[in-house]
Amino acid sequence: MSAQHSILLVGESNVGKTHYGAQFLKRLMVEACALKRNGAATNLEAFTTALGCLADGKATNHTPVSTYVESIWPIKDDAGRTAELVWPDYGGEQVRNLVTQRRIPAPWRERVLEATDWVVLLRLHSLRAEDDLFSRPLQSFANAETKEITEFQPSDQARTIELLQMLLYLAQFNLDRKLRKPRLTVLLSCWDELETSELPENLLAATLPMFWAFIRSNWESPTVMGLSALGKALSMTESDPDYAIRGPEEFGYVILPHGKKDNDITLPIQWLMSTWA
Amino acid sequence: MGESDLNFVSGRSKPITVGIVGPESSGKTTVLGALYLLLGRGNLTPDESQFSNSYTLAGWEAVANCLRWKPGQAPHFPPHTPSRAARAPGMLHLAFRRNDGSLRDLLFADAPGEWFQKWAVNQNAADAEGARWIARHADVTLLIADRQALAGPKMGTARNEFQLLAQRAVTEAQGRRLALVWTKGDVEVAPAMEAQIRKAVGSVDFSVPEFTVSVFKRDEVDAALGFQKLFSWILETKRPGVQLPTSEVAGHDPLFRFGRR
Repeated sequence: MSAQHSILLVGESNVGKTHYGAQFLKRLMVEACALKRNGAATNLEAFTTALGCLADGKATNHTPVSTYVESIWPIKDDAGRTAELVWPDYGGEQVRNLVTQRRIPAPWRERVLEATDWVVLLRLHSLRAEDDLFSRPLQSFANAETKEITEFQPSDQARTIELLQMLLYLAQFNLDRKLRKPRLTVLLSCWDELETSELPENLLAATLPMFWAFIRSNWESPTVMGLSALGKALSMTESDPDYAIRGPEEFGYVILPHGKKDNDITLPIQWLMSTWA
Repeated sequence: MGESDLNFVSGRSKPITVGIVGPESSGKTTVLGALYLLLGRGNLTPDESQFSNSYTLAGWEAVANCLRWKPGQAPHFPPHTPSRAARAPGMLHLAFRRNDGSLRDLLFADAPGEWFQKWAVNQNAADAEGARWIARHADVTLLIADRQALAGPKMGTARNEFQLLAQRAVTEAQGRRLALVWTKGDVEVAPAMEAQIRKAVGSVDFSVPEFTVSVFKRDEVDAALGFQKLFSWILETKRPGVQLPTSEVAGHDPLFRFGRR
């Protein structure tokens, strides 16, 4: 009887959740990774389109907003530990709506309560870093017309923190002490477009300092990794010949916390498994 | 966050309440906005106190929003904090985790200046309930001296108002922490005026900590520095008295674990 490990994969739209899922699955299928299949997956419907597109070297479409499907993958690692990964695929707007509407739909509540591990996908490239008075000083407030501003967008950093705070509240964790569970992994997705040689952790600390303080002060040992599920940007219409010939499993990599690049994109999950027990 | 939500925070352990006392348009809200912006940049606190959580992120964002650059719009001062018939001020919450793993909750009370002006004149003024609330609950009082007003055409009135307010605030503080915060620190003020202000807070008899803040750079001094100094002074505040026992109760909501004292 293998333990069921349900992964709460949190990411807003366009961070690459579906691509990661599809690439992960493909790796499992061709057995080119640290994790091995331990039986057949239940339902691959959610990823068939993505798998098809990637096989031709194309990017997949946006996952529809209302979609939420879970697919269960039995896996085992080299040490013989077995687990059932519950891998979700959904439209990322659902995550943004949690924060903006401050309402948690019932299904999300159950997911959060059941999850044993949290994996947060952040695409740093698409997060805005706004200039303020301290980064770009004003000479004077030249008779500023004080327009009544009734609506504003919270900064991306605040929204991300708020999201995790809401999930923590929902999962009934209190912060009196640093959290051991759920284990938290932050994956900086689309690493290839960042064009950096920094350690993932340092990059996160530099880009979102308050978010970094938030996870470091509340989790015992958060893990930060870089992830490029595709290895390079793909177009939705033009197919990439390399992909078509060599197969998508040849592409994509992770940057491990100490900076090593590895082509096995299942490592973040294997990392989690090795510390389960 | 309003008075009824306070139970939620204060259930954990009594938070440190910071009252910001000063007349209208003296920059109280701007001080808060600037503190939050620095927090967002990871520049506010040293590593020993790390940001842990906030129940009022949206509130902080609202306060700091005006101080950000927007496409086609330069930063401007936050709009006037409206005074309503509320009996307690709006609260902004921040929690920091210290090196020993414990949490320190801070509550900042952002109240409209009119409350204080009325309170300074008449302690029992009907519409100064909020100011009395702050005076009663604040563990730390930041008394704001607006350098622009103290150097402007109506400096006499400004000085007079400050003296009244300072007298009231110092009496009410009764030994709790109080600091004099000069806002708009880039503005020059006559030395004699500065002396009068210091006298008003009683700096002559015992020393009251002073901080100067400005959102503008002064003589190559980074604007952030003043706010950092002020904040680390606030963080030093210790609450005398009871250590709450740690409990192993499984419930997640701190409110049901400890009553509010």
